[in-house]
Amino acid sequence: MSQVNRLGSGGYIDRTQTLTFTFNGNQYTGYKGDTLASALLANGVGIVNRSFKYSRPRGIVAAGAEEPNAIMQLGATEAAQVPNIRATQQALYSGLTARSTNGWPNVENDAMGLIGKLGGPMMGPGFYYKTFMAPASMWMTYEKFIRKAAGLGRSPKEKDPDQYDHYHRHCDVLVIGAGPAGLTAALAAGRSGARVILCDEQEQMGGHLLDTRDQLNGKDASLWVSQVLAELATMPEVLLLPRTTANGLHDHNFATLHERRTEHLADTAPDANQVRSRMHHVRAHQVILASGAHERPLVYANNDVPGNMLCGAVSTYIRRYAVVPGQRLVVTTTNDDGYRAALDWAEAGREVVAIVDARPSPEGDCVKEARKKGIRIITGSAVFEAKGSKRVTGARVSGVDPATFTLTGVKDDLACDTIASSGGFSPVVHLSAHTGTRPIWRDDIIGFVPGKVKGLTSVGAVNGVYALDRILADAAEAGTNAALASGFNVAGVELPSVTKQLESKPIALFQVPHEKPTMRAPKQFVDLQNDVTAAGIELATREGFESIEHVKRYTALGFGTDQGKLGNINGMAIAARLLNQTIPETGTTVFRPNYTGITFGAIAGRHCRDLFDPERYTALHAWHLQRGAKFEDVGQWKRPWYFPVGNETMHDAVQRECRAVREKVGILDASTLGKIDIQGKDAREFIGRVYTNKWAQLGVDKCRYGLMCKDDGMVMDDGVTTCLGDNHFLMTTTTGGAAAILEWLELWHQTEWPELEVYFTSVTDHWATMTLSGPKARDLLSEITDIDLSKDTFKFMECRQGQVAGVPARVYRISFTGELTYEINVQANYAMHVWKALFAHEHKYGLTPYGTETMHVLRAEKGFIIVGQDTDGSVTPEDLGMQWCVGYDKPFSWIGQRALSRPDTRREDRKQLVGLKPVDPKVVLQEGAQIVLDPKQSIPMKMVGHVTSSYFSPTLGHGFALALLMGGSKRMGEKVYMPMADGTVIEAEVVSPIFLDPKGVRQNV
Amino acid sequence: MSKVAVFNQCPGSEVRAESPLAHLASIKGGSSLVVTEHAFLGHLILRGQADNESLKAAVQSVIGVELPLQPLTLALNETTGASVQWLSPDEWLLILPAGQEYDVEQNLRQQISGHFSIVNVGGGQTLLRLTGSKVFDLLSKSCVYDVHERNFPVGKGVSTTFAKATAIIRRPNEQEWELVIRRSFSDYCYRWIADAGREFDLTFTV
Repeated sequence: MSQVNRLGSGGYIDRTQTLTFTFNGNQYTGYKGDTLASALLANGVGIVNRSFKYSRPRGIVAAGAEEPNAIMQLGATEAAQVPNIRATQQALYSGLTARSTNGWPNVENDAMGLIGKLGGPMMGPGFYYKTFMAPASMWMTYEKFIRKAAGLGRSPKEKDPDQYDHYHRHCDVLVIGAGPAGLTAALAAGRSGARVILCDEQEQMGGHLLDTRDQLNGKDASLWVSQVLAELATMPEVLLLPRTTANGLHDHNFATLHERRTEHLADTAPDANQVRSRMHHVRAHQVILASGAHERPLVYANNDVPGNMLCGAVSTYIRRYAVVPGQRLVVTTTNDDGYRAALDWAEAGREVVAIVDARPSPEGDCVKEARKKGIRIITGSAVFEAKGSKRVTGARVSGVDPATFTLTGVKDDLACDTIASSGGFSPVVHLSAHTGTRPIWRDDIIGFVPGKVKGLTSVGAVNGVYALDRILADAAEAGTNAALASGFNVAGVELPSVTKQLESKPIALFQVPHEKPTMRAPKQFVDLQNDVTAAGIELATREGFESIEHVKRYTALGFGTDQGKLGNINGMAIAARLLNQTIPETGTTVFRPNYTGITFGAIAGRHCRDLFDPERYTALHAWHLQRGAKFEDVGQWKRPWYFPVGNETMHDAVQRECRAVREKVGILDASTLGKIDIQGKDAREFIGRVYTNKWAQLGVDKCRYGLMCKDDGMVMDDGVTTCLGDNHFLMTTTTGGAAAILEWLELWHQTEWPELEVYFTSVTDHWATMTLSGPKARDLLSEITDIDLSKDTFKFMECRQGQVAGVPARVYRISFTGELTYEINVQANYAMHVWKALFAHEHKYGLTPYGTETMHVLRAEKGFIIVGQDTDGSVTPEDLGMQWCVGYDKPFSWIGQRALSRPDTRREDRKQLVGLKPVDPKVVLQEGAQIVLDPKQSIPMKMVGHVTSSYFSPTLGHGFALALLMGGSKRMGEKVYMPMADGTVIEAEVVSPIFLDPKGVRQNV
Repeated sequence: MSKVAVFNQCPGSEVRAESPLAHLASIKGGSSLVVTEHAFLGHLILRGQADNESLKAAVQSVIGVELPLQPLTLALNETTGASVQWLSPDEWLLILPAGQEYDVEQNLRQQISGHFSIVNVGGGQTLLRLTGSKVFDLLSKSCVYDVHERNFPVGKGVSTTFAKATAIIRRPNEQEWELVIRRSFSDYCYRWIADAGREFDLTFTV
């Protein structure tokens, strides 16, 4: 098909660059500079979709973000699929492939349309709620059916080949919208030297000036646009962002701008290094909102039949794209702007059948111009019904009295194929409302304007100012003031001269009355995208929905990708009339980000796949990788979990590693433990206040285990702290708790005890820690150290400094396995050298690397807790049976002490740490299994505790577990039961949590 | 026995040191964005009271720069390459030429009286130098902080987020930026920079 509706000249398209594209399987051509919508209209494609609920044929209505119907599924390949793209916002490129999101088998002949026709009268508002509510169990089935029928587009099934990213920006002045107001404001601010960002969602900046009949400086307005853009482009501190939608305006003038960088070029980015779209996170000192206004359609019967359009859109297609979307036009308007469409249409050489003006006696300059051109003007009237089904064939016109909501005078039928309507303008207040500010109704402009938002100034049409000369003056002032507010001196802007146009006042008309009552008249659509009709709103109010928020949810008004851009004001006005109240009394619904849909990729940016979350590595990570370690996530750390040899299973590997530590020697990379260097003369006192146990007598080079409680008396962390000097301690924390504990210490120091002279510094990453554990640990270490390791010189819970493999080291003789253990700490840059030096003796001593799983088994055999596994924030030191680690008579009240005297923490039936030994030695209990005392009781059973840690011990030869059990310390020897999900019940004996070497002989050798 | 245990943590040169980026490969690219690791420098954290005259005097005499008391500033000794950066009202980062950290710590300890602490953190962090016309873009893609020259003049240094890690960003001179990153996050930072710098033809030398 040729471009039947394309004019021979004019527009901002490049006729030398023909582009081929596909829509619903058919090939068409357009030109560079077209949108998909303008190209479809140029080719005479009238039906672009089927409607959401009634499956009625729909055509293009608008030319911008407010388009409700032309919602497309884009993408020539599966991986490039993008749903819910407005054809009006999609630049045409060669090879573009689009499909309607609705319509099966196709938009021309739609199976659902029949259902819509049959079911239509019954599908009132609340249809889905009423029909599909019960039974609730069927909802998933209903939903599939509804989604298939409704067809909201689909996501790709293949991996997205494109890249998306984020970019943080800061500016003095952010100008949103590059129409006359935005351009002028940006120029005024930019000339001051301020940092300015000007963004506009369209392909081309200029906004309304690209299709206006107004002239600037006596010339085509687009010339002025080019001049301003050229000047802005020379300013180093001004950033122009075309194709960039301001999607959200958040607190403190933080704005999210979605820039489409390659969407206008191809399905996927032409160059692999190119970012397809970019989210700018902008922190602006001042925001100038120049988002303009959307024209409101009039609500009349069958106003959804293809061929019904907005007046402004008609002008845009003619003047910007040289496309006349029909042959014979009827305009129905409440204001002077509607006349422009008729004048443009007539100048394009096509027939204007009539302008139907709701005002009794319009006298503006446009009106005079239309009269002079001989266009028929029918005043005091409106189109109250469109004729036709797949295309408008005529307009039914009548006198109308908006005050009484009745038709008056004679009726007339006009033959036409296009009806353009204008019911006035709705300022695009969305962004101003994102921060929670309610828009304010103004009777004089028949619309809402933005409410007051700190640091935000609205200029131009969004502020209800429509006269071009005033827009420019206001914008210059706003730009100037924003620059001043940001501390810049103003350079000033000279404003272009505007030919003054005399306008007559618009009239308030939203729904056009019909000869039949609304409920019986043909459908009068308010929200085209969601198929919400005037009758639907009437029914909602009749059924008692009086709040506009309830009407919205009952009818779906303003739902979906549309967010009420075209329909909201009409819907509110209709509800207000029906409820016999004013529009401000009725109020608006809440506008939320995002203004238009954003692809998920842009939201995620580069924070995906291997960059989704940082992986923290120790200095020995490369060795672990080479050794084939399996890793476990501990916080953000990757810790070796176990080191399988050959085809070993995890169980086999862990059993082998456990035996190696108990019988020979193993080594663990413990570098992830949190380490805090504490210096100052009050360091000891401070430590005594944050730990539960006593520190006053700990000598230099001695280590002590400490338990830390929150102020509620519950265990929050544990670890060994070493006295390195009288004023110098090294505290270790759990791997996951490192950052939080440092903050905790700083918090208490800075807010409660600032008089204590103590400083904390994190050295977690500085020291690499290698834990050499097992009966052969001494023999192995002695091969490469000058430290005297003899048992009477270097005792358990002591620290020594010396050389290990030629590297200065601190060695701590502490143990988390119960075996003879040396923790070797070196500056992390030298860790690999020391580790390899130890492994040079691997075979002589049977040195075995072990991971966290083996560590867990070994420590559990000893009854050593893991904070966060055996505790959960509701466990006191006493619950753990660790009274030995509580300094009840310490002189200063340590954190948590008072909480331990509360009646609740003194209860005898608190959950207490116990060991569990399954009666069947082969059984390994499930961690998290609930414990009951009587397995025969009826459900719900009384649960008295749960398993916190459970393993199989090769040393003990049976499964064993740690558990928290109500009154557990007094239940030693009793049997408890764990009913499992499969109906089996596991029996276990309550035992001491210390399964191995209760006297600690092995670690003291 | 000293009240604070200090020892030279560096072995002789016969021991091979590995920087946090040791396991990663250099990336060859153009000159618009060049990232170079400067490994094994001396890093000390000095904590003390800003009104401690002996502390100020010690920094002046040992490092040869005035202790920066203005928040977010950096003092550089152009001759030695040593620097002192304000981190918080009672905390400074000293970055010293490789191998000097033990002597510097000893000298400072001798000269400072009153309450203070000095901690060697050199194994826990590394320094990257960034040059080229696209450094601003790389940093803007990676961190929330405003790195425009009006907000980030030469001589400034901040602790902030870098992607999802923490980092110190510094601007020692007109041509260079510096990133101080933590050892455990350095692999992540490397991969982030490699990714973000791809469109700028990144060169990364480790």
